[in-house]
Amino acid sequence: MVQINLPENSRIQKGKYFKDKTGSKNLKKVNIYRWDPSSGENPRIDTYEVDMDNCPSKVLDILNKIKNEIDPTLAYRRSCAHGVCGSCAMNMDGKNGLACTTPHEEINGDINIYPLPHLKVKKDLIGDLDGLYKQYQSIEPWLKSNSKSETKEIIQSKEERAKLDGAYECIMCACCSTSCPSYWWNGDKYLGPAVLLQAYRWIIDSRDNERQARLKKVADELKLYRCHTIMNCTSACPKGLNPAKAIAEIKKMLATANI
Amino acid sequence: MENKAPLSPHIQIYKWHISSLVSISHRITGIINIIAITLVCLLASLLVLGENNYKVIELFLSSQIGKFIILGLTWSFSFQILSEIRHLIMDLGYGFELKTSRITGFIVIFGSIILTVIFYLFGGSFF
Repeated sequence: MVQINLPENSRIQKGKYFKDKTGSKNLKKVNIYRWDPSSGENPRIDTYEVDMDNCPSKVLDILNKIKNEIDPTLAYRRSCAHGVCGSCAMNMDGKNGLACTTPHEEINGDINIYPLPHLKVKKDLIGDLDGLYKQYQSIEPWLKSNSKSETKEIIQSKEERAKLDGAYECIMCACCSTSCPSYWWNGDKYLGPAVLLQAYRWIIDSRDNERQARLKKVADELKLYRCHTIMNCTSACPKGLNPAKAIAEIKKMLATANI
Repeated sequence: MENKAPLSPHIQIYKWHISSLVSISHRITGIINIIAITLVCLLASLLVLGENNYKVIELFLSSQIGKFIILGLTWSFSFQILSEIRHLIMDLGYGFELKTSRITGFIVIFGSIILTVIFYLFGGSFF
């Protein structure tokens, strides 16, 4: 259900202030959401003064710098640092994205960093994505073919392959799903843009023989039609994909009985 | 173990953009329009009861609040029409590119203001 206010235990308090110790003139204030599961306290916003003269260009570099030089207790996910793995998805300056591909120069004023929106927080910037992975599992994201042969190739034309462009590149970073207000209010039932884009990817795959069953499965008031083309997903996607369009295509297939 | 994990902030921190603004306004104006149509029907049925009621309605609608309500409803209906057209086009699968959706969003917002002015100034002479 729509719940505008945060629950009592999620209200954000004022946190610590880490003053700059390097004496740099080029400082930037970075406000970071912190929550320590062992403290029993509410989440807080810690503010760090970061020396920008000795900091590479991306938001992830700022986080690494803080963790290495100012406050080692900061927790966040990261791995590849090249926008391929999707680990460092977070909310920066009010917009979801990958910290490793978001230049901090594009953010004016203080940099505000939060975990992905409307998730149960595990620690600091780490949100719990279990629900999303369960939903991903529910659409059965693997090839279902009637082909008996296990050695013979399933031929796909160039045109058929081209349909997968814009769908297979998804890295499941969850930036889109957690940017979607519909997913915030109905995340338990609505599949959300990330999972629906993947559902679409398997529906349009010419090698898959379960197209009808897949379509029937997502054709549900709550699972699919909670998308109201708000377009937060498309504007958040760090890979430049278009989940909103994929959802519209699924709706269109169902509406035109093009099954 | 008790699940005390807090919920990360969502609508409090997420940045608005044209498309999400148009979407939420579409829903709000939709609700306003349903209430407005009901009220207009009630006012119309009041007229059946006699001439005096007409005077009351006219007095109310020519007051400052009445004029504000008329202007607001004119905008709300104009916005709803344009936004609905935008959503219909999207239902056909067009206009999902970020740039296009931004442009159509702007058209809806500015178009609704222009339509409001046109309806308010010249609407009376149509009927």
